[in-house]
Amino acid sequence: MTETTTPKRGVSLWVQIVIWAFIAALLVLVGVILNKRQQGTVQPGDQIPDFTLPLFSGYEYEGQSEVKLSDFRGKLVVLNFWASWCKPCEQEAAELEEAWKMYEDSGKVVFLGADYVDTEPEARAYLKKFGITYYNGPDMGTRISQLFRIRGVPETYFIDPDGVLYYVKVGPFLSVDEITSIIEQKLP
Amino acid sequence: MLAEFGYGVLLVSFVVTIYSGIAAFYGVRSKSSALVESARRAQLLTFPLITISSLTLIYLLINNHFEVSFVYEVTSRSMPTYLKVTAWWGGQAGSLVFWSWLLAVFTSAVTLRKWDRDAEFLPWVIVVSSITLTFFLGMIVVFENPFTRFWLVNGNVEPSMFKPAASATIFTPNDGQGLNPLLRHPGMIIHPPMLYLGFVAYVIPYAFAMAALITGRTDDRWTRITRRWSLWAWLFLSLGLVLGGRWAYDVLGWGGYWGWDPVEIAAFMPWLTGTALLHSVMIQEKRGMLKHWNMILVILTYSLVIFGTFLTRSGVLSSVHSFANSPIGPFFMGFVTLTLVSSIALLIKRWPELKSETEMKSMLSREALFLLNNLLFMSILVVCFWGVISPLISELLTNQKITVGPPYYERATGPLFAGLLFLMAVAPLSAWGHSTVQTLGRALWKSALAAVIVTVILFVTYTQNFYALLGFFLVALILFATGHEFWRGARARQKAQNENFFVALGRLMGRNHRRYGGYIIHISMALMAIGILGIEIFQTETQGTVAAGEALNLGDYTVEYRELASWDSPGEGVNYTRAVVDIYENGVYLGQLYPRIDYYFDSQQNMTIPGQRSTLRDDLYILLVDWQPVSSIGATFKIYVNPLVNWLWLGSITFLLGLIFAAWPERDPADEAVRRKVTRDNRQASAAD
Repeated sequence: MTETTTPKRGVSLWVQIVIWAFIAALLVLVGVILNKRQQGTVQPGDQIPDFTLPLFSGYEYEGQSEVKLSDFRGKLVVLNFWASWCKPCEQEAAELEEAWKMYEDSGKVVFLGADYVDTEPEARAYLKKFGITYYNGPDMGTRISQLFRIRGVPETYFIDPDGVLYYVKVGPFLSVDEITSIIEQKLP
Repeated sequence: MLAEFGYGVLLVSFVVTIYSGIAAFYGVRSKSSALVESARRAQLLTFPLITISSLTLIYLLINNHFEVSFVYEVTSRSMPTYLKVTAWWGGQAGSLVFWSWLLAVFTSAVTLRKWDRDAEFLPWVIVVSSITLTFFLGMIVVFENPFTRFWLVNGNVEPSMFKPAASATIFTPNDGQGLNPLLRHPGMIIHPPMLYLGFVAYVIPYAFAMAALITGRTDDRWTRITRRWSLWAWLFLSLGLVLGGRWAYDVLGWGGYWGWDPVEIAAFMPWLTGTALLHSVMIQEKRGMLKHWNMILVILTYSLVIFGTFLTRSGVLSSVHSFANSPIGPFFMGFVTLTLVSSIALLIKRWPELKSETEMKSMLSREALFLLNNLLFMSILVVCFWGVISPLISELLTNQKITVGPPYYERATGPLFAGLLFLMAVAPLSAWGHSTVQTLGRALWKSALAAVIVTVILFVTYTQNFYALLGFFLVALILFATGHEFWRGARARQKAQNENFFVALGRLMGRNHRRYGGYIIHISMALMAIGILGIEIFQTETQGTVAAGEALNLGDYTVEYRELASWDSPGEGVNYTRAVVDIYENGVYLGQLYPRIDYYFDSQQNMTIPGQRSTLRDDLYILLVDWQPVSSIGATFKIYVNPLVNWLWLGSITFLLGLIFAAWPERDPADEAVRRKVTRDNRQASAAD
């Protein structure tokens, strides 16, 4: 037997150190993220701090190339997080646009699309494909999505005219009625 | 009353499980067989206890006990009874009960059978599975109690297990929220329990591996005992993945079957290591090599099951599969840590004793190619793991979220999958111990030539896409090489035993289930690869709004919109909107399809049911996206042509057959000898008459 002739050797110390360091790093990483996730998304009733959304060209708001949430005080804001790579987003794209068309002329409701972790050519192709006309721009550096602590796309936040969040929709809308009924709750 | 009963039984099983684990531990440490026996009996008790609790839950589900919050969340009055039963595993709390129940079933099955034979391992197996079960039951009892009820306290409704205040009364909602209609699909009803079966069944090989490490019996005993468990676990896991794909294809409405979603990857990672394990275990049995490696694989598989479940259930990873925000995170995290640290510590401790008995002699031998196969599986695992973990790292370090999408996975794993296909064709032809380029070349050249001819034909008649041709070449190589193996084996037996060819083939396969079942699985993988190549490379789509009588074109197909009708079905609580379209191919009428949208009143959700025309050549897949409700003049359709996709489902069925064949118990040789002798004696007796 070869086994008796070769000396039995354990795992060398540095390999052990590497393994344990790897496990520890992994657990710390997951632990920190878990802790972050436990806070959940922003809750209805929270006052939303101001943020700035740069807009894609062709999607400007009154000639401005970026908008602040505070620009819309007095209006109801529907903030939709989406991405061109997100399949469930496609499910609701037409519905969002249709709902926007219903309120566009009233001037009481604003739809904002925040494009989450995306590239501009794909995002533009997506907007064109679904004929989206409401204000849209990239969520630069994921600053806005972190402000809302979103967990994925699509997610939609309904902010009342006073800047207070009153409804959160995680996942795609399945009908225009679903969107309008949430808006009608707070429409003055 | 019933809710308290169900919860009480769960509490009792929790305590019994803890006792079982502790008694087994001290029993084996103090060599007290009485204590070990007591632990075993306690363990056996968990199965009926959790069964009773589960039956209570199912009773509550079937009988619309909406005062129980879990029942309220996952069922509604309009749901048929079978869906109410399956709601058992449809929500987080219930699925944890289901999981615990499976664990109790499997552990009982192990401890009931062959106790004497495996007496040295089994106490430790009980310890390991009791710890796992304690954890899951603990999670249910403390955090995710499916028996929690609604109480009316001072005009507010709050969920609680027991009466929260003296004045509190039970609150019963009129109707439940109902199951998400997307999940009311046969594939979705079977998909989760199959995955859970697969996940939980891996506890058994893991527990035996731990027992082997603890007791120091590091020969191949544990792999022999758990071989069939690994195979069945793998079967269920594979089935779960395939059914999930089928569900996505039918229901999600984008003609896809696999989206590289974090939850999909979490289920796919243990499958990768499980597949590698199935192969490398054979090397340990045949050649006494790779003992370390098998231990690593079994630990990895089980850890990935637990880790993946944790990541997706605690909300660390977001996905379309996400469960509601849940408090189980930190508790689960503790269990993940315990599993990883204790397994690795044990493995490091026993590392020197897991030495190979033989050395690798040839880089082309069967064992070398198996090792290569393992490395490829591991590489795919690393790609997947990085895809799942890197967004977390970047979120932590740069405070920016970066997600990796399907293109990353497709680019990184594509060549690795191609390598696996190549090995699938070549490795079965190489010999254990020693193979050379010459021996391998002799075995392979005919198949390779045939595959080249097929590829050339495809190049001329079907496609000039390089990746598609490469894929089809590898598929053809597998089919020819594996077919050749069947043919050669049967011919040899035909000559030696003077049997009819088909009898010889049948007996040949019957003598080595694992080997020929494995070959059938290889063939099925090749068939599935055809479907995947088809949909990934050749899928085409179009979208458009048309009035009645107008048509949309895609490739050779013309889809003409005829009419649309919308009606309520109050009994089912659904509104149906159904379009009728005529299908033509190059002007030839093929028939009608009926894409529709079902609207569920209780959950206010739409469900898109595609009109589908399936052939082996392609799937025409038509979705009704939108319509004009008042005039029903126009309707919007999305149309996909998914070439070859049905080979994927055909391959899945072949795969299932191959697996069942491989896992089917072979006749015990001793048994067989006795049986044969009896028939011969009978024959002599009847000849004497």
